[in-house]
Amino acid sequence: MLLQLSDVDISYNDNVIVKGVNLELDSGERLSIVGESGSGKTTVIRAILGVLPRAGKVTNGKIIYDGKNILEFTPKEWKKVRGKEISMIFQDSGNMMNPVQKIGDQFIEYITTQEDTDKKSAYEKAVKMLSLTNLPNPENVMNSYTFELSGGMRQRVGIAMAITFEPKLLLADEPTSALDVTTQAQIVKELMKITKSSMIIVTHNIGVAAALGDKLMVMQGGKVVEYGKTTEVIENPKAEYTKTLLSAVPEIGGKRYA
Amino acid sequence: MPDENTENIMEIKNLTKKFFLDGDKVLTACDNINLSIPRGKTFGIVGESGCGKSTLLKAIMNIDPATEGEIIFNGRDIVKLKGEELRQNYRHIQLVFQDPTAAFNPKMKVKDIVTEPLINFNLIKKSEVNEKARELLKQTELPEDFAERYPHNMSGGQRQRVAIARALALEPEIIACDEATSALDVSVQDTIIKLLVKLQKEKGFTYIFICHDLALVSLFAHKMAVMYLGNIVEKIDGDKLQYAKHPYTRALLNSVFSIDSGKNKEVKVLEGEIPSPLNIPVGCPFQNRCAYKKEICAKEKPKLEEIEPNHSVACFFPINN
Repeated sequence: MLLQLSDVDISYNDNVIVKGVNLELDSGERLSIVGESGSGKTTVIRAILGVLPRAGKVTNGKIIYDGKNILEFTPKEWKKVRGKEISMIFQDSGNMMNPVQKIGDQFIEYITTQEDTDKKSAYEKAVKMLSLTNLPNPENVMNSYTFELSGGMRQRVGIAMAITFEPKLLLADEPTSALDVTTQAQIVKELMKITKSSMIIVTHNIGVAAALGDKLMVMQGGKVVEYGKTTEVIENPKAEYTKTLLSAVPEIGGKRYA
Repeated sequence: MPDENTENIMEIKNLTKKFFLDGDKVLTACDNINLSIPRGKTFGIVGESGCGKSTLLKAIMNIDPATEGEIIFNGRDIVKLKGEELRQNYRHIQLVFQDPTAAFNPKMKVKDIVTEPLINFNLIKKSEVNEKARELLKQTELPEDFAERYPHNMSGGQRQRVAIARALALEPEIIACDEATSALDVSVQDTIIKLLVKLQKEKGFTYIFICHDLALVSLFAHKMAVMYLGNIVEKIDGDKLQYAKHPYTRALLNSVFSIDSGKNKEVKVLEGEIPSPLNIPVGCPFQNRCAYKKEICAKEKPKLEEIEPNHSVACFFPINN
């Protein structure tokens, strides 16, 4: 077992936002979390990475990662794990980067902070990672600013950074929501191909969740309403909310509105 | 064909929109667009970001007028309208935006937001605002006491209903929706589309519905157009979308993830990215990503031609099932 959450409550300023989350993830397993905005999906993965906003706190339960309770991690222990063993892909990787610093400089800084290495080999590693994500002309990308790249290219840079150290656990917060369908398909397929890491994918696109996740978790109002194998949840939903959600997904050739 | 014209509320003829940039560069956002919008129906426009669909909508709305071409609406070319005539024309075509938070004045109450168009056209008096606002909220299935609220005091779905209520206020003939449900969760999106369908049946509105969700458009639109790099590459009925013949439309269809795991295995990736509109290739705009490209595609631009009734494709080698 790589990750286990048991009875986790998360509060913001004493208001309980997420209540009683249980989940288990084996090495190499992928879990998708779906639900409406405000249902607490992002809060859960932020808690796993220990990056809740200042007002947020895990108020109950345990988060066991690799046999250790991460809620008891010291800043020093976090430094070893975060960005290296557990990393994160954001909705728009352009936003997590500095707009006035070249991508290459940021990538090299990231590598040299995590690893005792010189700039030259860090550069080579960065280029290697970028080409792994199908970015044409990686040297050119290294020399660019975020605003010079398209959304799909920026997202590939974010993925390249997140998988640089072959993390055991990869957290992805709406990794394809800002992209067009064609780019979304490219990114989803690449994610499945280039990394063997365990993954937790937060998305509101149920098709993407089904394609990526071995397991599926449905959240509503801070609670888990359904959790199980993806195929079982989709073919045989138990919770009323899951049924509503699945029936609302438009499918080509499905039931017309008019 | 005079009969066909009476069925169509709007005819867009040879519409081109160019932006003239620094250094004598020209960006062609919409290239020779021809569309017939049927009265009382929903017309969907799909395509990737940057394909020119929003620019086309702005040209139709006359917010950012077309460079060339005609838009015949109610027998008049509205591209040439000026001054008061142009202003009066806005009464008949209203717009719903993607993000209602950005489209509203945060300091206005809902009742003032939804009745502002009526005040602007002197159609009601200030004293009638309360009554009219309640009526509009009722039509969009919102509680009447929302009239006294501010936009930030409601959910995204409720705000979008307010945006629809405002678009309804002038009883327009056409309501244009620019990604009106893209920011919403699927279950909320479902209720908003159902509301739009209900209103269409009651009031006979024509919708021009821009969206990047292919599946949604196909289920909601009666007719639809697929845009790529400023060109319409295919026109087809919404319920026939799965029989599309243009390689680009097919690629879009193959990119959609489904809740059906069997279908997800068939998802095929369209490689590459949309070229810069500043640098449109000679010949077919889709050639650099097309799996069926032949020599002629790089030399000549395929025309949009009707290959069967209500189905046009701009491709030399349309795919047959």
